Parts: sequence; structure tokens; C-alpha cells
Amino acid sequence: MKKFLASLLLSAMALSLAACGGKANTPATSGSPSSGSGTPDPAPSGDKVAIKVIAAQYGKQTKDWWAKFQSDFNAANEDIDLNVEVVSWDDIYTVVNTRIANNDAPDILNIDVFADYVSDDLLRPIQECVSDETYAKFYDAFLEQSNIDGTIWAIPDLASARAMYYNKDILEAAGVDTIPTTWAELRTACEKIKAYDASLYPWGVDMTTDEGQACFAYYSWTNGGDFTDASGNWTLNSAENVEAVEYIIGLVKDGLTNSDPATQKRYDLQELFAAGKLAMMIGPNQISSYVAGSENPINFGIASIPANEGKSTSSVGVMDRFMVFENEDTDSKVEAIKAFFDFFYEDTRYSDWVIMEDFLPATKTGGEIMAAADPDAASWIEIVGSAKFYPTAQAKWADVKQGVIDVEQKALQGGNVQELLDALQAKIAG
Amino acid sequence: MSQPANAIQKKPISLKKTILRLLLYFVVLDVCIITLYPYFAMLCTALKSREEIFSGNSVLPVTVLWSNFIDIWSRAPMAKYMLNSIIIAGGSTIIAMLCGIPAAYALARMKFKGQTAFLGFVIVSQMFAPVVLLIGIYQVMQVLHLTDSILGLIFINAAFNQAFTIWLLRGTFIGISADMEQAATIDGCNRIQSMMKVLLPVAAPGIVTTLIFIFINAWNEYTVALCLISTDTLKPLTVGINTFNGYNIIEWQYLFAASIFAIIPVVILFMCIEKNLVSGLASGGVKG
Amino acid sequence: MSTKTPAAPAGQQVQQSSPRLPNPGSKKFFRTIEPYIWIAPSIILMAVFIVTPIAKVFQLSMNKVTRAGKLKGFNNFENFTSVIKDPAFSLVLKNTILWTVAVVVISTLLGFILALLLNNKFRGRKIARAIVVFPWATTLVIQASAWKFVINTDYGTLNALLKKLGIISASVNWTSTPTIWFIWEIACGIFVTVPFVCFCVLSGLQSIDTSYYEAATVDGADYFQKLFKITLPLVKSSLTVSTVLNIIYVFNSFPIIWTMTKGDPANSTDTLVTYLYKLAFYNGKQGEASAVSVIGFIILLMCASIYMIYTLRKGDEDL
Repeated sequence: MKKFLASLLLSAMALSLAACGGKANTPATSGSPSSGSGTPDPAPSGDKVAIKVIAAQYGKQTKDWWAKFQSDFNAANEDIDLNVEVVSWDDIYTVVNTRIANNDAPDILNIDVFADYVSDDLLRPIQECVSDETYAKFYDAFLEQSNIDGTIWAIPDLASARAMYYNKDILEAAGVDTIPTTWAELRTACEKIKAYDASLYPWGVDMTTDEGQACFAYYSWTNGGDFTDASGNWTLNSAENVEAVEYIIGLVKDGLTNSDPATQKRYDLQELFAAGKLAMMIGPNQISSYVAGSENPINFGIASIPANEGKSTSSVGVMDRFMVFENEDTDSKVEAIKAFFDFFYEDTRYSDWVIMEDFLPATKTGGEIMAAADPDAASWIEIVGSAKFYPTAQAKWADVKQGVIDVEQKALQGGNVQELLDALQAKIAG
Repeated sequence: MSQPANAIQKKPISLKKTILRLLLYFVVLDVCIITLYPYFAMLCTALKSREEIFSGNSVLPVTVLWSNFIDIWSRAPMAKYMLNSIIIAGGSTIIAMLCGIPAAYALARMKFKGQTAFLGFVIVSQMFAPVVLLIGIYQVMQVLHLTDSILGLIFINAAFNQAFTIWLLRGTFIGISADMEQAATIDGCNRIQSMMKVLLPVAAPGIVTTLIFIFINAWNEYTVALCLISTDTLKPLTVGINTFNGYNIIEWQYLFAASIFAIIPVVILFMCIEKNLVSGLASGGVKG
Repeated sequence: MSTKTPAAPAGQQVQQSSPRLPNPGSKKFFRTIEPYIWIAPSIILMAVFIVTPIAKVFQLSMNKVTRAGKLKGFNNFENFTSVIKDPAFSLVLKNTILWTVAVVVISTLLGFILALLLNNKFRGRKIARAIVVFPWATTLVIQASAWKFVINTDYGTLNALLKKLGIISASVNWTSTPTIWFIWEIACGIFVTVPFVCFCVLSGLQSIDTSYYEAATVDGADYFQKLFKITLPLVKSSLTVSTVLNIIYVFNSFPIIWTMTKGDPANSTDTLVTYLYKLAFYNGKQGEASAVSVIGFIILLMCASIYMIYTLRKGDEDL
């Protein structure tokens, strides 16, 4: 048996050498991205227009969906050779930046950030690459999020909004009769839950490198604060922001939250919530279907994010984008890119995608289709319509994002919030 | 005189020996348990449902879901990933050895200018983490048309294992007396023949160890493969199993099930080669 | 290549190519360049696939690099000064040294002891050796994920196990402070490094001639005398190789810390490599990230030079 296995391994090695030899003679492998196995014409033909797409992996079906999209698209467009590469969120920045640094940018990229690419003159104005018909489908407010100096550089692929999720059974058992709408009520509710069962976590907080900026937004925006003022100047150390960070750090320090906000990501919280160990958290619409998918779904409700006394609540919107890189494009390539977007945003295909990924649509027609099909989705679409977004069009957003996360984590370790935010403001604005 | 003294000593020695033996078993057993614990946890998790994992109450799975191990094969092209990994690790091992053995031989058996400089260069070449070199590596691969190809990964892994190969084999070769090779030369062998026929068989334990090292390192490489390979069917196992690490959830049961598969080939390889490692010892015992 | 070398003069190396180069001068020439031919494949491999990328890192570190990775010219070492000025940098440097020293020293000790144990003949040795290879046969990303999963406060299997065994009654938070996180990361680092050391030493132990021990026993040497007088000097070569390489590998190790904490909270578990990765791919500062890697390189180079001077000057007899 062992001998057999050994010989198996050896022959695999021998095979690998043979494979190397074969490959070395055909360096064309990198030049002609293999189209899906369904395509009948495997020969790399010179007259085909090749488009490379890098797409973010949202969920478990993303890869399969894009694989099918690719073969459908290539079948429908004989003169185009589309290749979609799906990359997980953990790795996408590494992959994309490595390629861009080597002048090997994809033609179309699906990611969240775009301002950096604009400041390096890497992108095409998106309107050049999208047919008027498709362009007219987007909510204007969403397109505005990708506006830098009067030009729209990206189109949204989908959106998501955040709201407060709460476990009805835990709140009831702990004697929390009304759903907290203010910060003070939230604190009282947390204290009641803690008193009812000390092994439960009343409130979920995520201050990780992955998404700590969302935490900043949740409390800043519900306290009348913001990252910038109306004219786009950074206001990171405003009194509202200091109060907001101090409030949430206070909840953590008093043991009213999950145990380790600096390393527990949103999906850790989501798991705890679904397992009935976390009473309340702020999260995206996907949590609903995530919880409903478990064997013994908990009894949960959704409410607005609590705001400070006298301030109004605000949802946090998150939006990802498609952008087109300038890669010595010919007219036929631009046409091919237009064809790609037309194909993608075709109403049934697009709503199928959004529903599959469990996000919210970024097009009006998509929104109508989804709202008609699902009343839950309708209310979420309303929330996302009124949501605030991160100032992603600002060139310094990446620094600010990492900066506020650093402030939160230092505050967790006992740092003075005012001083930390002052220092960050000085670094960013100065 | 010596007879009684021996008799007195004999008893305590054998008792001491038994105690030592028991102690040895005890320690080795402990080491094995500690080493295996994470794998035990992985295996148990791989057999659970998602709900059971996050209830956090059970050690062993309450309902054993063997189906997780079957599901991963349909959820991702696991067989393809595994084959790619074997090709990458096997290919890297061969190339690293083909380049490394002559270099180590030259360092151990010849005197030349720049010998020390070369040894230093080998060490210095390892002082940057692959993570740091990603952008440069990608650039090289573009020039050679090796992006998105398994061959590129083979070369990278072979290059990053040169230091280890050369240093360990040089030590091994130096430790073996050159007399036998000289004798072989007198018998009419040339350098290559005397190396192949005399030195390498005697150096088997060191060579086998080096082989395992390179194979395992290449098998486990992640970052470079991640950036170089964009076609799904060319990905090695380490990158491929990221399929179970999504935007919203990590599917621990699948991730761990897949990881357990990823360990198996290495352990099998090791078990096969370990035998040679011991028999290599027998030939290594040739009196110098 | 012809292997026929008729009438080889006794005691002299004869090259297969000598018939083609009849005059003694070119034979001598060949003997001078011969070693370089032997090391050429290795040099070419490393030059192409390692040295070129290293040159790129130096280039990036000297240039202003935009977020998207475009070079915008020499910037007067600004990348270096802004890195060194960052207050987090000294913390990160301290962590890196702590991490490297702790992992290398402890795993070398444990690996050495384990190798001595596994070098004994006993029942099940083969299985024990195979088990020891496990941690190393596992991708670091997965290994670290598994550890993170095991020690998780809320659903970790360690808490579940201890509760089942009745050792604890309620879940324990195993990772309550950043320092404890760092200790876990070091433990994980040791866990995966021990097999490496162990097999390096084992390979050295196995080429030791048993007659040395027999002779020492006859001379009345006890176990520790034999250990320090025979074993240690003879495995020194493999032990030095494994230690030197370990210092480099551990210093540059990335996946364990990245998977477990990403260097959080606020750089308190960051090492240079995770720090520069964040700089490069989260903050888009590839120039500064390259500067950090150059600094790390200089530190390693200094350590290595000390080692080189120490061992190579002493000559090769003990290597």
C-alpha cells in the first residue's frame, strides 16, 4: 500500500515535470485567458476583444454566478472574450494593487474604493463606457457618491444599509419593554440584559481593522457629527465625534458589549447573534436571511440605529462599484465594455444577482422589481435611500478610515479620545 | 572485584532504565496529544453543522455530518486544486534539488574565490519575506510570461528554498569524508559519477530531509500563489480553499474539512520517506 | 557527456571534457571555472526570482509611490523618515524582536529535546514522528485559523472541552488583553517551528556514528557528558543552519499574526511584516512599506553579519 502511494507520488512528480516542459513551450497561456469550458471555440483568435474583470467575492455563490455569467456572455457576444476573476475581500486589495503597480490593471474592477485610482489618472470617466440606457437606471444619489470634481468615475453594483437588529426573546425576558431609540435607552437596556443573564452580550461592537470605520459612523452620525463638514473639510475632532467615541468606549468598558471589539469582526458578531448569545447589534440586511437560514432561527426584530438625545437617527449605507481602467483601449473594446454593463444590468439578470448576493439594488428598475417581490426588501430599499455614505470620494479617505480605527483601538486601551482625535485631525488636515 | 560491583549496580540501572523508558513514553505521548489537539478540534468541527459549531457546547459532534467532507468536492474543484498543489510542490522540489545539490557539492568539495561571498549571498537572498517582494515578483513573471502559470510558482518556490537546500546539504556533504569519492575517482569515475554513485547515497538522510522541507514549504506557500494565479483551475489548495472564506461568513466546517484533506498528502509523503530516512541512516553509518 | 575517461592519471581529477581541451593550460582554466559552473544554476535561479524583486523593493523605498503604485520619482528618503517618525514604529520594532527571539529560542530548545527523544528506539516511533510533522504540514493560515477558533471565548473548543472535563464551569476569555493575544501568537509560532528544528536536528543525529557513544560509555561518561561532548558538537552544523534560517523565517513570518489579530489592537501585536502589509495594502503607502522592509532587511543583515564573522572566520571545521 505504502509502496503504491509512494509510486503514485513519484509519478505525480514526474508528471509535474512533464507538465512544466509542456508549459514552457507555450507561454501563450497567460495571454489567452481560458474561457469557460462551455465555449466551443478554444482557439485564441486575434480578432476577439478580450476583457478582464476582477470581481469581489461576496458570498458562497459569487464564483458560480460569475462563471455562468461569463459563459453566457461569451456565447451571446461571439467577438468578445470575457474573463472574470473572482477574488475574496481579504485579498482583493493585494491582488489589485500588485497588478496595477505592474501596469496590468483589469479592464473592469468591482471594488469599494475608487478615489486613489482617479488621483493617479487610471480610470475612464464611467459615462464613456456605459450605454445611456443603462446609465439612466441608477439612482442619482448613488452616482453622486462617485463624483470627483464634477466627473462620475464609477457606477454602483449594489448597496447595503445598516440597521439595529435585536433578539425579541432576550429583550422580553430581560424586561426591556420598548425598543431603545436613544443612547440612554440603549445603555439602560444593556444593563437590564446584563443583570438578567451575565453570560449574554447585550450589544455588539466591531472596531476591527476590517470595519472599525463603520462603528465610528454609527455613533458619529447619530450624534449630529460627521467625518467632514458640508464643504468637505475634515472635522474628525468635533465635539460630537468625541462624545460619540466616548459613548461607545464607555459601553465596552462597562462590560455591556462583546468581549473583544478589536478582533471580533462583524461576522463573529453575526454568529453570536444567530446563536442567541448577543442581544442587539448593528448590521446589514443580510443578517435577516442569515439568521433565517439556521435550524432554530431566533426571534428577531429590526429597528433604526439609536441616536443621542435630541439628534436624529441615520443609517449607514455601503456601496460597492464598477470602474473601468484605461488600458490603451480601442473603440471596439469600449463597445465590448458597454456590452458587458448592458448584459450585467439587464433587469432580470441584475435582480437575480442582487437577490443571490442578498444585497440591495442600485438601480431604480432593480429596486422596483425587488420591492414588488418582497415587502421586507421594500423597507430596506427605503432605508438605503435615506442612508448616509462614507466620504469615499475624498482622496484621504483611506487614511481617515485607518485613522479612526486606530483611535478606537487606542481608546479601548485607555487612550484619551479627545487627544487621539485631535492628533488624527492634525495629521489628516495638516 | 568488578563482578560484585557490577551486580550491585545492575539492579538500579535497569530500574532507572524502566523509569526512563516510561518517562519517554509519557513525554512523547503528551507531545503527540498536544500536537494533535488542534487537528482533533478541526476534525470535530468539520463534522458539525453550522448551528452546532456556534452553540459552542459540544466537543464531539452530536450529529456527525460526513456529508461536509463530500460537499466540499462539489462546492469547489478540490481534486484540481490538490493536483495543482502536488505539481507545484513536486516541481519545486525537483528544481530546487537540481540547482541546490551541485551548488552544495561545489561549496563542500572545491575551493574557489568568492565561496564565502556566495554563502552569504544565499542567506541574504532569504531576508525579504515573499509578502514584501510581491510587486517585484509579479513584474518578473510578467517579463517571463509566467503570470497565472504553475511553472512560475514552481520557480519561485524553488528559488525561495535554495538557501535551505544549499546550507543543509553543504553541511551534510562536509560531514562525509571525501576519501570514498577519491577512491572512486581513482577507479575511473568522473566528478559527476563519483557524486552520484558514492556521495549521494551516503548523504541520503540529509537529502531526504531537504526534500521534505522543500516539498512542505512549497505545499504551504500562499501569498505568491494568491497574487500570481488568477485562473481558478490553476490555483493550489492553499488559495483554493479560500472559497469557504466569504465576505459575510467563514464556513468553518468546510474550511477545516478541506484543510484536513490538504494535510493528508504531506503526511503520506512523510511516512513513505521516513522509512528511507532510517535506512539512509544505515548507509550513513559507513565508517569515514 | 562522455563518461569514458581512459588512462586517468592516478590521484588526479580528470574532466570528461579534457579530451577536447588537449593543452594543459585550458585544463587548468577549466578547473578554475569549474566551481562556478556547479553553482551557476542556483545563482541564476535566485538572481532572476529573488534578486530582481529585491531590487524593486529598494527602488520603491526610494521613490514617491502613489496609492495605486505608480512611481513619481526620488523623494529624498522621505519614506524612511516618515516611517521612523511614526510613534507606532518603535512599538512594532519591539514586538518584532520579542516575537523573533521568543519563537526561535523556545522552539530551538523544544525541537532539540524532541529530536533527542525521537532519536531513541521505541515502539510507535514512526507514528510519533509522523504526528510531529503535522503542524508543519499544515498551511500557516489554516493553522492560525484553527488556533483562533480553538481559543475563541464564545464557541471555541478549548472552553467546551474544559467545561466537559469539569475543569472550568463558565467560558473563560482566553484572549482578554493584547499581551495575551501576543502570547498565543508566539505559542502558535513555536508550535509550527518546533517540527522544523526537530527534523533538522534529527537528520544531524542520524549521521552520528554510534561508535562514538560506545567509546564514551567505556570511558565512563554520563548522559549529559555525552550530550554536551558528543551530540551537541556533531549536530551543531544542522542546529546552526536551522537557527539562522529560523531567525530569518520567523522575523519575516506573516500569516500567524495576520490571521489571528491583524496586529490589532492599535499595533500592539504588529510585527514589521504585518505592519508593512497594512501600510502597503490597506493604507496604500507602498513607498513607506518598502522602506519598512528595507529597515527589516538591514536589521537581519546585521545579525547575519555577526553570525558570518563568528562562524566563517573560525573556519569550516565545526560546520
